[in-house]
Amino acid sequence: MDHLSKQFSRRRFLQTTAGVTGAMAMGGFASASRVMAQSPMAGPTGTFNFMTWSDHFYQEQLDAITAAIDITPSISELAGNAEGFIRVSEVGGQLDMISGDALWVPRYFEDGLIDAWDINELEVSKGLYSLAREFDIWTTPAGYLGYPFGWSPVQIYYDPAHVSPAPDSWEVLLDPKYAGRVMVENQPEEVPAYMGKLAGVGDPYNMTTEELAQAKELMIRLKPNVLRLAQQNTDVINALTNGEVWIATGNLGYDERVREAGGPEIKVFTPKEGTIGWMDAEMIVTGGANSALVRPWLEMAQTPEHIAENFLRYGRPLFNEAAYKVLVNNGHQERADRFLYNKPETVQAMTLKGPGTSTQAAIEAFNEVFGA
Amino acid sequence: MTSEVGRGTTPADAPEIGQRRSVARLWPAIPAALVLGVLFLGSMAFMVVFSFWRTDAGFHLVPDWNVDNYVKFFTVPTYLRTFGKTLVMAAAVTVAALATALPFTYFLVRYVSRRWQRIVLLAVIVPFWTSYLLRVYAWQAILGERGVINQLLMGLGIIDAPTRLFTYNDLSVFIVLVYVSFPFAALALYATLERFDFGQLRAAQDLGARPDQALRHILLPQIRPGIITACIFVFVPIIGEFLTPVVVGGTQGVLIGNLVINFFRGAQIAQGAAFAIVIAAFVTLLLIVFRRHLQVEDVVARG
Repeated sequence: MDHLSKQFSRRRFLQTTAGVTGAMAMGGFASASRVMAQSPMAGPTGTFNFMTWSDHFYQEQLDAITAAIDITPSISELAGNAEGFIRVSEVGGQLDMISGDALWVPRYFEDGLIDAWDINELEVSKGLYSLAREFDIWTTPAGYLGYPFGWSPVQIYYDPAHVSPAPDSWEVLLDPKYAGRVMVENQPEEVPAYMGKLAGVGDPYNMTTEELAQAKELMIRLKPNVLRLAQQNTDVINALTNGEVWIATGNLGYDERVREAGGPEIKVFTPKEGTIGWMDAEMIVTGGANSALVRPWLEMAQTPEHIAENFLRYGRPLFNEAAYKVLVNNGHQERADRFLYNKPETVQAMTLKGPGTSTQAAIEAFNEVFGA
Repeated sequence: MTSEVGRGTTPADAPEIGQRRSVARLWPAIPAALVLGVLFLGSMAFMVVFSFWRTDAGFHLVPDWNVDNYVKFFTVPTYLRTFGKTLVMAAAVTVAALATALPFTYFLVRYVSRRWQRIVLLAVIVPFWTSYLLRVYAWQAILGERGVINQLLMGLGIIDAPTRLFTYNDLSVFIVLVYVSFPFAALALYATLERFDFGQLRAAQDLGARPDQALRHILLPQIRPGIITACIFVFVPIIGEFLTPVVVGGTQGVLIGNLVINFFRGAQIAQGAAFAIVIAAFVTLLLIVFRRHLQVEDVVARG
C-alpha cells in the first residue's frame, strides 16, 4: 500500500485521470463521428410545432416517423380556422406548420403568415390526385400554399327509424317533430352559413344584412331542436350511436362510424339547397423556427400507407390517390368509394369554407341565438 | 439586549437603516409581484385596451377607440339575459355547496377522530387527481338518457322510458357544478371549523340558548371567514365556467363563458375582450362589496 501511495502522488493521480478523461472524450467523439457518418438520419432532427385537427395524425404514425428520422411534431389542437388564423397572427414563427381550410389558406398568405412553396419537391406529392396539386385558390406565382390533405362536404345524417319521410333539405333540422333530437357542431361561422343555404343565399360567407337576418330567423327555429352543440365529431358519432339524437350534420363517413360503434343504421343526404364543404391543407408558417423539419416530416407522414390508415380510422376522403390504391389493394374499395374517395372533383361543387365579409356578423348572430 | 441600531451607529443613521431594512424586507415579494404584474395585470391591461378597439373584416384588431363592444353587451338582450342567468346559477350553486359542505364539515370536525378526518378529507380531494373534463364527462354517463339514473328509475319501474329531466338543461349544469364546487367549500369551511372551540356551544346552551341560537350567535359569526372564503372560491369560478355547460348543459344550459369563448374562437378578440372585462369588473366589484360589508380581510388577516 505504501508503495502504491508513493507512486500515485496527488499530482500523478491528477495527471493520470486527466489523461484517461481526455482519451475517453477523444474516443467518444471519434465513435460518435463514425456513428453520425454511418447514420441514415443525415437530415435535420428535432421537434417542430404543429397546430392541427386531431384527425390529421394518429399516434402510431408519429411514433414510426420519430423512430425513422427523429423528427417529432409538438402538436396543439386546432379548434377552428379563425382561431388558428389569429394564433398564427399572434405568435408567427413560434409555430412551424398549421392546418387550414379552403379559402382560409389564401387568407393566411395574403397576410404574410405562410410560405408558398413547391410541393412537388416532396416525393410523396406524386401520389396526390393531380387536381389537388392545381387548385386555383391555392396557386400563386410564388408557389403552392399548402400540402393538400382531406376534404368533405357537410351532409345531414338521420336515423330512418325515427325520421320519416326521408328528408332532402336543410329544413329537416327545423322540423318541430325533432325537438331536442338534432345535433350540430359548435361552429359559429358554419351554422349561419348553412342556414343561409336553406334561405337560398348564394354566397353564405358574404351575406348581406338582410340575408343574415333570414339566416338568423332560421337559427332561432333551429335552436329548440338542437340538443347540444358538439365540440368534436366524436360527440356526434356517440350521440347518433346511443340514440340521443336522430339527426346530425357532419362530414362524410359518419354513417359508417356509427355502424362500427354498434349504433343503428344511419342514412345520409346532401341537402337539395346545396351545401358547404371544406378541403384542408398543411401550411408552412413564415419564419418558423424549426421549419427545416417540416418537409422531411411531411415526406414521411404523407406516405400512402399512413394516409390509407388515416382514412380507415377517421373515415373521410383525402387527396392522396396512392393511398386510395393501397385501400383498393387491401379490400377497402367499396368503403372508399362510398366515401367519395375516388371523386375528389366533388369539392368543386361545394361552397368552400372561408373567411368572408359577414363572418363577424354571423358569429354575433349565432351567439345571440344560442345564448340564454 | 442591544438593538441593531445601537451597534456602532448614530441615531442620525437610524432612518436610513430603517429604509434599507424595509427595502430588504420587500425582496421576497418580488417574484409574486412579477407574476401578478406580468401575467395578471399585464395581460389584463392588454384585454382592457383591446376591448375598446374593434376587429375589422380581416380579423385584425384595429386601434379605433370606441365603446361599441360594451354597448353591445348592455343592449343586446341575449347577452344580458345570459349574464343574469350565470349570476343566478353561480349564486344557487354557492348556496347549495355551502348547504351541503357546512353540515358535512361540522360533523367531521366535531364527531370524527383526527385520523378519520384526514382520511375523509383525502376522499374529498381524490377527485381532483383526475382531470376536470373527465369528471364532467363521467356525469354525462350518470345523468344522460342512457345513464345510470335513468337505468335505475326504469329498473325500479318508476318510469317507462328514459327521461331527459336530468341532462342537457340548467338542472344538470347545477348538479355538476355543485359536485365540482363541493370540495372547495368543504376545505375552506374545514380550515375554519377545525379551530373552533365547540365548548362555546355547550356553554351557550348551559346559559339557556337553544341549539339553533347557539349556532347562529356563536358558531356562524366565528366561522364567517371560512364561509366567505367558500363563497368566493365557489361563486367566482362559476361566472367564467364554460366546460360544464358544454358537456351536460346542451343548448339550454349555456352560460356567459360559452359566448365569450365563441367570440375568441371566431377571432372576435375585441368583442370577447369587452365581455371578459365586464365579467372581471363585476367580480372585482363583488369582492369589494365582500370586503366592505363582510370584513373579508379577516380571511387573510388571521394569524
